[in-house]
Amino acid sequence: MLPQNSNNIFIIVPVYNEMKEVLEQTIIELLKMPYRIVIVDDASAGGIFLPKDTNIYLLRHAVNLGQGATLQSGIEFALGKGAEYLVTFDADGQHAATDIPAMLAPLQNNEADITLASRFLKPGHHNASWSKKILLKTGRWINYFFTGLYLSDAHNGLRALTRQAAEKVALKENRMAHATEILFAIKKSNLKYREIPATVTYTEYSKSKGQSVFNSIRIFFDLILHKLFE
Amino acid sequence: MNGIKILLITGVAFIAVYFFLRLRNSLFDIILLLLLIAAAVVFILFPGITNQLAAWLGVGRGADLVFYLSILIFWFVILKLYARIRKLEQIITTIVRKEALDQANKPR
Repeated sequence: MLPQNSNNIFIIVPVYNEMKEVLEQTIIELLKMPYRIVIVDDASAGGIFLPKDTNIYLLRHAVNLGQGATLQSGIEFALGKGAEYLVTFDADGQHAATDIPAMLAPLQNNEADITLASRFLKPGHHNASWSKKILLKTGRWINYFFTGLYLSDAHNGLRALTRQAAEKVALKENRMAHATEILFAIKKSNLKYREIPATVTYTEYSKSKGQSVFNSIRIFFDLILHKLFE
Repeated sequence: MNGIKILLITGVAFIAVYFFLRLRNSLFDIILLLLLIAAAVVFILFPGITNQLAAWLGVGRGADLVFYLSILIFWFVILKLYARIRKLEQIITTIVRKEALDQANKPR
């Protein structure tokens, strides 16, 4: 692996109404790694409190826009700060910060432009319920239907992008359809992608914040509109 | 003239006044609106015409023809509204993002 200049690695964490303790724990775990952290608050009620640290940036949306818009704000901010590698990381404690180096390695070795975490590549990397599994399998087919890419994990919030890839992935979908929109960008710009096994830990908390069946229908509808109007 | 005709024409009149107050600046809009109002009033006063039109198009009753056409028009309007909403969302996003980036705090 190349020597790591971690100053140009930015972790983007979209935050919306996250429980204080959970967000703190996520940030504490991230601070153990030598990266810059961009917290993007999507207008959480009551704002958010962050530990004082020189490696943390905070952006705040004045009104709630959705996760796709939140990620895009973080991406644009990190690019403006000269980021060479960008990682998206959910705030709800489901990802492990220790998975990030493995996500970055293929980018740093020029083997891929974008890496997508997958909880299904290796057994035992997740504790998803069967209903969640069915939902993710359906999402996989929907992604395949819209993009022609058949991935093992449809909606995993942990991804890593090179600067060039991040510039091409300009998210227009404000809500959750951005996960598929990233695949559109991969297809359109011929980005080299790779799936990396990563752990996903579901807690009662992250489940309560996760995607419901109703939301999935919304995603599907957003995708159809995306195709119709773009 | 029976009750339903008075009711419908009153409704059309109110809508017409409302639109005239809002769209008085464009000649094309006014002409289009006048045509639509005239058509509405004619169809309300002489519903037999819609029956003839319907029979000519192969639909059973005039009311059915109006119903089918309304569905088409509503679909069109809904799609246009969705497109408009998405455009507005994009504009809001641009503004909110710009503000967020401008206000981003320096590393503390």
